[in-house]
Amino acid sequence: MPGAIHLEAIDPWRYRIPRDERRGMRTHVVVYGSEALIEQIRRDLSLEQAMNVATLPGIVGPSLAMPDIHQGYGFPIGGVAAMDPDEGGVVSPGGVGFDINCGVRLVRSTLTAADVRPRIRDLVNQVFRDVPCGTGGSGFVKIDRKQLDRVLERGARWMVENGYGEERDARFAEAGGALEGADTAAVSERAKERGLPQLATLGSGNHFLEVQYVESVEDQRAAQAMGIGEGQVVVLIHSGSRGLGHQVCTDYVAQMNKVMPRYGITLPDRQLACAPIRSPEGQAYLGAMAAAANFAWANRQGILHFLRGAFRRVFGDSARLDLIYDVCHNIAKRERYEVDGRKREVLVHRKGATRAFAPGHREMPPEYREIGQPVFIPGSMGTASWVLAGAEGAMRETFGSVCHGAGRLLSRTAVRKGRDARTETRKLEEAGILVRSETRDGILEELPDAYKDVDAVIEVVHQAGLARKVARLRPMGVIKG
Amino acid sequence: MNANSTFIRGQYMDFELLEHPADIGFRTRGGTVAELFANAAKAMLSIASVLDNVTPREQFRLSAEGSDYESLLVNWLNEVLYWYDGKRVALGEFQIDAIDPTSISAIGFGEPRDPERHPALMVVKAVTWHQLKVDETPEGWVAEVYLDI
Repeated sequence: MPGAIHLEAIDPWRYRIPRDERRGMRTHVVVYGSEALIEQIRRDLSLEQAMNVATLPGIVGPSLAMPDIHQGYGFPIGGVAAMDPDEGGVVSPGGVGFDINCGVRLVRSTLTAADVRPRIRDLVNQVFRDVPCGTGGSGFVKIDRKQLDRVLERGARWMVENGYGEERDARFAEAGGALEGADTAAVSERAKERGLPQLATLGSGNHFLEVQYVESVEDQRAAQAMGIGEGQVVVLIHSGSRGLGHQVCTDYVAQMNKVMPRYGITLPDRQLACAPIRSPEGQAYLGAMAAAANFAWANRQGILHFLRGAFRRVFGDSARLDLIYDVCHNIAKRERYEVDGRKREVLVHRKGATRAFAPGHREMPPEYREIGQPVFIPGSMGTASWVLAGAEGAMRETFGSVCHGAGRLLSRTAVRKGRDARTETRKLEEAGILVRSETRDGILEELPDAYKDVDAVIEVVHQAGLARKVARLRPMGVIKG
Repeated sequence: MNANSTFIRGQYMDFELLEHPADIGFRTRGGTVAELFANAAKAMLSIASVLDNVTPREQFRLSAEGSDYESLLVNWLNEVLYWYDGKRVALGEFQIDAIDPTSISAIGFGEPRDPERHPALMVVKAVTWHQLKVDETPEGWVAEVYLDI
C-alpha cells in the first residue's frame, strides 16, 4: 500500500523516508513537498519507486523526490539520483527515461499581450501549420543518414550551422546544445530510422508549444537579465528526442536486463535495469544517450526556427524571437559536487527533474552567471508556467536539481471520463486560451484537472531554497500533438 | 483498474485499459499464447491509432526474442511499435507462425501508414516492464502491459 510508507517531516518543505536495509536500500529518500502535496504524492506508487532507486549500486547522497513527483516506470517522474563510478555506480536508462533529453526552451518575443491577443487565432493556426506535431507524418527538415549522424554529434549547433537558427541560439542551451561523447555507432539503425523523419516535430503526449505572456515578475533583476518584463509575450517549447530517443532507451533497457546477472545486480523492478558506469554496456548507453540528447536539442532548435517563420508571417519581419535558455529534464550528466565532505564527479540521473545551477557556476552563459541558471516549469495548459533561477540549496542538497512541472494527479483515462474535446476546448477559449491539437482527443488528457497545482509545487522549491521565483507566465495559445 | 470502453470508438475492443498516473496500460487475453500475443499487438496499435481502415493488402515478417514470456512480450510489442513508428506501416491483423518462451515469428498484415485513413490517437513512445504480467489461467492466457505515452 503506497499510503503505508512512513515519512518523517524534516521541516515544512522536506520529508525523509529512512533507509530500510530489509528492502535493500543503500540510502534514505528525501522528498520535497508541502503537507498537501505529500498527501497527493501518497496516492500512487512514486514513493515506493523512490525507495527502489535507493537500492541502485553506487548511489551517493539520498534518493531525491521533487514536489511534482508522480509514478513512472522504475524511477519515479520527478526523481534525482547521483551515482559514483568509483563506488561501482550504475547508469540506468530508465533513470533517464524513454524520452531522452525531453526538455523545454523559453523564447522571448518583441511583442506584448496586447499586440498578440487580437491576432491569436491567426498565430495559433500559423504555428500549427508551420511546426508539425509529426504524429502521423514527418517534419520539414529533410536530412539523409550521414547528416543525421552529424546532428547526433553536434545537436543544436548543427542546426544553426545549416540555416535553422541564429548564431546565439546554441549558446543559450544547457551544454551549449550538444553533449560531448555522443557515439553514433552506439545508436541502433532502428533508432535512426525512427528519428530521421521526425526532426523539428513536437510529438504528442504532454509535449506542446505554448504562446504565453508574463503575468507577474517576482525578481526584477533576474527577469531583466533574461530580457523579460510584465505583459511581454514569450513562447514555451516542450519536446524531446522523439522516436530516436525512445528506441535508444528501449534497446538499452533490453540489453541491460540481459547483462545484469553478469554484474551481480538484482533489482526490485526490471524497468530499473542498469549496468556499471564503467562497463562496456554503461559506456555504450552513455554514448547513445548523448547522441539522442543532441537530437533533442536539434529538434527544439528546428522547432524554434519554424516558429520564427510563423511569427514573421503573422506580425511582419520586425517580430523577433530570442532564445532565453533551453533546459533538459530527462538526462544523466557527469557533474562535480561535494558529497560527504569531498568533491566527487558523479553521474546525476534527472528523471523529470531540471538542472538548476546556482549563481556563479561556470557552465552558464555569462549573462546569467550572477542570477543563477534559468529554469522553466510548465504547468498545465489552463493554468500557469513559471520561470525560476537556480539557487545555492540545489547545489548543497539536490545535485543542482529542481522540479520539472506540476506533476500529474489524474490518469489519462480518469481525466477523460464524462468529457468531450469540443466542450473542453470551448471552456478554455472562454478563459482566453486557444488550443489546437493534432490528435483527436489529445486535449482531454492534458486538461488542468489532470495536474497538481503548479503554484504549490513552485512554492516548495522556492521555500526550500532550491530555486528562486522569477516570473509567472499565463497561456494564450496552445499547440499540441 | 477500470475498463473504459468509451475511449476506443469502433476499434479493436478486446482489451481493457489500465490506469497509470502519467501513461496507460492494457489487459488482454487469448485462448492460446499465440492469440494473446496477436491481441496484445492489436491492443497497443488501437491505442496508438485508428485501425478500422487498415486494408491487409501487404505482408510483413516480424520476429522477436526473449528469455521468458514476459520479456518476449515486451520485445514483441517493441518490434510491432518499430514497424508502426519506424517503418511507418499500419498493421491490422497478425498471424503467429511460431511461438515459445524465447522467440516469436509472425506475419503482420497491413499497408503503409496514411495519416488521413489511419489517424493517430496518441503517440506510444515505448513498451515498459512496469507491472508487466503474462499468466496462464484456467480461462486462458492474460497479459497486462503499460505503455509510455
